[in-house]
Amino acid sequence: MKKIIYAIAALMCWNTVNAQTDKGSVLIKNATVLTVTNGTLEDTDILVENGVIRRIGQGLSAGNNVTTVDASGKYVMPGIIDAHSHIALDVVNEATSPITSEVWMGDVVDPYDVGIYRALAGGTTISHAMHGSANAIGGQNVTLKHRFGTHDPEDLFMKEAPRTIKFALGENPTRVHGRGNNIQPRTRMGVEAVIRNGFNEALQYKKRWADYEQASKQRNSKAIAPKYDSRLQTLVDILDGDIIIHCHSYRADEIYMLIQVCKEFGIKNIVFSHVNEGFKVAPELAEYTMGASVFADWWAYKFEVYYSTAFNAAILNQNGVLTSINSDSGELIRHLYHEAAKTQRYGGLTDDEALALITINPAKQLGIGDMVGSIEEGKQGDLVIFDNHPLSVYAIPQMTFVDGVKYFDINEDKDDQRLKVNPTELVEPIFLKEHDHKCMHDLDFLFTEAEHLFNFHNH
Amino acid sequence: MSNIYKLRLILGLLVLVGFLQVSPVKAQSDASGEKRVTGTFAITNATVFTSPGQSQQNTTIIIKNGLIDAIGPNVSIPSNAHRIAGDSLYVYPGFIDGGSSAGVSRPKDVEKPSNFNASSPPDEVAGITPYRNVLDYFDANSNQINDWRKAGFTMGQLIPEGGMLPGKTAIVVYGHKSSSNIYKENAALVATFKGSRGMYPATILGVMAKFRDLYKNSEYTSQHANLFASNPGIRRPEKNKTLEAFYGSHDGSTPIVFAVEDDLTTRRAIRLQEELGFKLILNGVSGAYPIIPQIKDSQAAVLLTLDLPEDKSSKMEDSESDDERKARIERIKEAYQARLAEAAKFHEAGIPFGFTSQGAKVGDVRKNIRLMIENGLSEEAALAALTINAAKILGIDNYAGTLEKGKLANMVIATDSIFKEDSQIKHVFADGHMFDYETTEKKKSNGNGEPADLEGRWEYSAQSPQGDSQGLLVFRKDGEDYRGEITLDNPAGSGQITSELKNISVDGSSLRFEFNIDAGGNNITFNVSGDISGNEFDGNLVVADFGSFPMRATKQPETK
Repeated sequence: MKKIIYAIAALMCWNTVNAQTDKGSVLIKNATVLTVTNGTLEDTDILVENGVIRRIGQGLSAGNNVTTVDASGKYVMPGIIDAHSHIALDVVNEATSPITSEVWMGDVVDPYDVGIYRALAGGTTISHAMHGSANAIGGQNVTLKHRFGTHDPEDLFMKEAPRTIKFALGENPTRVHGRGNNIQPRTRMGVEAVIRNGFNEALQYKKRWADYEQASKQRNSKAIAPKYDSRLQTLVDILDGDIIIHCHSYRADEIYMLIQVCKEFGIKNIVFSHVNEGFKVAPELAEYTMGASVFADWWAYKFEVYYSTAFNAAILNQNGVLTSINSDSGELIRHLYHEAAKTQRYGGLTDDEALALITINPAKQLGIGDMVGSIEEGKQGDLVIFDNHPLSVYAIPQMTFVDGVKYFDINEDKDDQRLKVNPTELVEPIFLKEHDHKCMHDLDFLFTEAEHLFNFHNH
Repeated sequence: MSNIYKLRLILGLLVLVGFLQVSPVKAQSDASGEKRVTGTFAITNATVFTSPGQSQQNTTIIIKNGLIDAIGPNVSIPSNAHRIAGDSLYVYPGFIDGGSSAGVSRPKDVEKPSNFNASSPPDEVAGITPYRNVLDYFDANSNQINDWRKAGFTMGQLIPEGGMLPGKTAIVVYGHKSSSNIYKENAALVATFKGSRGMYPATILGVMAKFRDLYKNSEYTSQHANLFASNPGIRRPEKNKTLEAFYGSHDGSTPIVFAVEDDLTTRRAIRLQEELGFKLILNGVSGAYPIIPQIKDSQAAVLLTLDLPEDKSSKMEDSESDDERKARIERIKEAYQARLAEAAKFHEAGIPFGFTSQGAKVGDVRKNIRLMIENGLSEEAALAALTINAAKILGIDNYAGTLEKGKLANMVIATDSIFKEDSQIKHVFADGHMFDYETTEKKKSNGNGEPADLEGRWEYSAQSPQGDSQGLLVFRKDGEDYRGEITLDNPAGSGQITSELKNISVDGSSLRFEFNIDAGGNNITFNVSGDISGNEFDGNLVVADFGSFPMRATKQPETK
């Protein structure tokens, strides 16, 4: 078994010894610093050295070779983190099996997606590039730092982030597999059965390999390796606590169901995504999970998403649920600060509470809360400078830094930010549905006949 | 009548009958009349490029038994040799195609079983057929082979068609139809990132994961099989032809030819190689110049595509007032130029690449190579890519790739230095067989700037296995460009239909255009390319997946 785990570990971060990504140094002077975890500091400097926030204070100075940015009258907040995104991906769904835990979004990252730059222009420095929601157990996700400008997909990987995986409940998996292909799951009960069966099979798989490893240790062992199955191996890793589940969900009953399943299998690392009915099971979410990642005010795009409220984030938050607001869209990712501000209108959250929804809270949900998500000495230098308070409707991001390197500057914004240009096309294909949720991308072929039944948003 | 007389009469009749039977024109032992008079050739007094950068003048080459028997300035010419006066001719090693679809057909789709489940389809249905042998789907007499031979190619690695793991390649010589022409079977395993529509694995996500699982399980089952073979008391290994097809890849004896498109797919293939440790040949590399250092580090063999993007940017009008549009066109031009210069970049980086013809049109190949040369690739490096580099990548360099005594008699003989626009291929030797091609004088004068006059009505005839097809081509001048249409027999019934010509381009004497027709709901694209000489057009009509057919046209006098 160990060998397999090494193989998987090698597979997931096979290139850690390769070239380092850029780390920058910058001194931001005289800003109003919204630390998120430590209140608001007026007239304060932040020194980032080699990609890490070295000092926060007043009257800081840096070496001659460090760029200084005068942020008098401006606001600095931690880089915004989106816990549910599909930008920079060539493919979103391997929708052909109810469980596809073997697939990995790191294989299909597209560093040329201008969506990364647009996200930076909206202050978003980290996105969680997720598999879609077609399958009960989808693929493994990858956490990206928006180091736009590289040709190498791996430069975008946040390699220190833990592994995560997509799950999905409700209408999407039952529609794709049950109605689309006439296999399990056809109902919510079927979704539960698929997940339970998956974990039970994983336990058997784990035992098979443990027995084999044991037998291999004997002298002159003639042990035969069991069939290798990265699908089941990934489920074993979930059971072993090495992977955080991010589960697409809407209804309270199915959220409660998965909490019960996780309890039974001893799984503690689970975040629920969308969670429109989360307010009904807030105490349960607070007690047992790594929280909920929700929309500010988006619903009614299919039957299971009607029972919704814009107070959801505030209710969850006030009930002790670790809560974040996500985009699930290449458009919303450009103004998550607006989305966070909506919780002040609907629920009266404080500035720090609202900002936490798009910074430290999603960071914790991705298992990177000790590295990013707030402005603290020792954390990574992911920062955004705004002209106004980011929760103001007038706020416009001015500069965005990742690891102390400036990747966006509103004064240096070019007409054409593409990294790669098609050698023959004057007008490259534009995806007019960019603002739609991409959770159900790559599924068209499944619905050619039944399309009229499902002619609505798919997220 | 005496018995003796009778006997003589019968004998006489027999002789007479026998004589009648064999007499008509043909030689006695060759009823077809196709047997050649001699297999020994002497090309005398030619300029010979024995290998890239190595040329010698006034050289004679003797070909015997399909091999180069002698090469040098003072070799004696056997009396039975067919002499070819090479005084003004240039001789090169025959080109080698690192990845070819010529003559290869797509296997029939396998029928889905009645209990078909899209989440776990049988390998064969899901495009996972690494055990297939491309030769089972290969037609050596295909027109496509003739076309590529005419363009100078004498050997190629045949790539099977299919899904994610279509099968194994073979290396063949484009020789005479009387031979099987096979040099190496199961030379390499082919892999692609093609998903299987509507079933697992449907996307690159699934293909990458499936590939890893198959490869790792093939290692385990191979260990199991070895254990079983040498020990009692081992449970029987389950036979699995998919996994067995990978066995040769574990020790590097069977490389994996990965079909790639751009830098991202190239990276994906390299990622799998680094994780799993197989020997990798990148097939169809294009637009990957930003990652040349990574490709070099991987030590993967590189087959660059012979296809180049069309030059569309030079035809885009940049309006004076629209700076944004201007800047955009400028970037397209840069991207186009970068693609033209890509081969030169690989050469500068010290990567000994070969070429793959997959995805390229035979009519464009020499033009594309000239474009690469105009954009920085040396002629020496271009010739190396076409010959010895490809031979090394395919592991056939001990008998092909250069002109040396003892190597295969594969060569291209041209009227001038092969990379000059006016140079024409006069003979191709493949496997010691000579193929002759018509050369024309007019082409030269036409190539010197005088563009062919296209405007008017042309009567064409195209040959196809179903018989000849005749019709009319009409070209009209439209500013700098041409417009036009073709009439042809309605494939769906009686009468004739007309289709608009697209992408008409005239470059010196060469003409290319496309048109589409609708055949039973399928939109089929026809590509036509060839040369105009005066009022005659001589070229080919290529239909993807169907083949290439000769097409000729004659311009009709103006009627007022």
